[in-house]
Amino acid sequence: MTSARTPRPGTAPRPVPRRPDPTRLRFGLAAGGLAALSALITAIATPASTGAPVPAVSTPASAPASATTVVQRRPIQYVQLAPGQSAPPGAKVIDAKAPKPITIVTLVPAPAAQQPVVIRTTQSGKVIP
Amino acid sequence: MITPVACDPAVDAAAMSPVSVATTAMGGRLAIHLSAERDDLRALHDGRQILARIDRWAARLSRHLEGSELSALNDDPNWTVTIRPTLGAVLWAGLDAHDASEGFVDIALLDARLAAEGLIPAATWPATHRWSVRFGPGRGAFVQREPGIRFDLGGVAKGWLADRALDLLARWPGVAVDADGDLAVRCAAGQRWAIAVDDPRTDNASLAVLNLSTAAGTLPARWGIATSGTSVHRWGVRGSVRHHLIDPRTGNSAVTDVVQATVACGSALRAEALAKAAVIAGSSEGLALLERAGVAGAILLTDRDEILALPSTLALLDQTGEA
Repeated sequence: MTSARTPRPGTAPRPVPRRPDPTRLRFGLAAGGLAALSALITAIATPASTGAPVPAVSTPASAPASATTVVQRRPIQYVQLAPGQSAPPGAKVIDAKAPKPITIVTLVPAPAAQQPVVIRTTQSGKVIP
Repeated sequence: MITPVACDPAVDAAAMSPVSVATTAMGGRLAIHLSAERDDLRALHDGRQILARIDRWAARLSRHLEGSELSALNDDPNWTVTIRPTLGAVLWAGLDAHDASEGFVDIALLDARLAAEGLIPAATWPATHRWSVRFGPGRGAFVQREPGIRFDLGGVAKGWLADRALDLLARWPGVAVDADGDLAVRCAAGQRWAIAVDDPRTDNASLAVLNLSTAAGTLPARWGIATSGTSVHRWGVRGSVRHHLIDPRTGNSAVTDVVQATVACGSALRAEALAKAAVIAGSSEGLALLERAGVAGAILLTDRDEILALPSTLALLDQTGEA
């Protein structure tokens, strides 16, 4: 059984409400999607961060100001296997619970020659002038 | 010139003049620096007394002196040998160094060292070198070893002597003992000792200056700083360059990219063992080892002219410019 309403006599039929034009919304969604995809690709393709930055070492007042660079490097030295994985040839495998090795390369500021130093630590047998 | 520097404004830097005494021992320098009034006769007396005592111990522990206790032990053909307590303590320290260095430091490799110098034929490797030391009920000690094992105490003895001298000078809150480059330092509250890390590439140059300090109002802090490397004791044998740091895995001079390593931690003995281990292990494995050991700082110089340091080292570098 169907029921169909008929307009009352003497009343004008209601105008059918117009649906909004979706074209503008679709363009907006497409542009947003492209932006998100682009950001995702950038995040995947860019090399991983080299670790937290180390604050630059300030030099003594008498040291050259140019020798303040501190560079941090975190090379991949070891392979940690997930279940079911096998190590590539020549890789060194470590225990997952072992502390992660970190190698830091630091360009140490050259010490000022006129510092009122000092005791000197040397290799054995080194003759100090 | 040795200068402990005041890092506490309340301390008058001009009042802290060091008293230093020095001699030659163990093939190098042996020096004691006391933070005291320059004309403090007690400091001079104590410094000289301990220096003489350490010098006597060093003579007993040298393999280069025919009459030393170590030479007598190395020449003794018996399996079990009775030794005096000082030599026993240093052999014991050698076992500690072996453990601290994860096996890279082995004081029972004299023959491998001499073979590396080309003085004796190389032995087959791995050579057995099981040995032990134990202390008797009296003051003596006993060494048990397989035949042929001979000891080279080297840096272990220097580190042990530096730490021992620091113990003997317990009444002085500010002391630095220099055993041929291996240092034991006690830093009094409010003081700072500046330690230059030698640059082996240039005379009288430094890779860095480490600042050891103790905050005012706290107990004196104890430090050990030691440096080991391949650039001083090296020689050519049948066309190949060799050095004195023997890799116990091969019995030969270590093949390494580390020219020199300096370690800062709580004792000179431990610092010396870890510095040597870092050189033998190479930069990658060595830094990982030092990090596991939890050292206060470490600076490595590689054959690529890189200066490598653990992150903890930054806290010791001169960042104040107040010196």
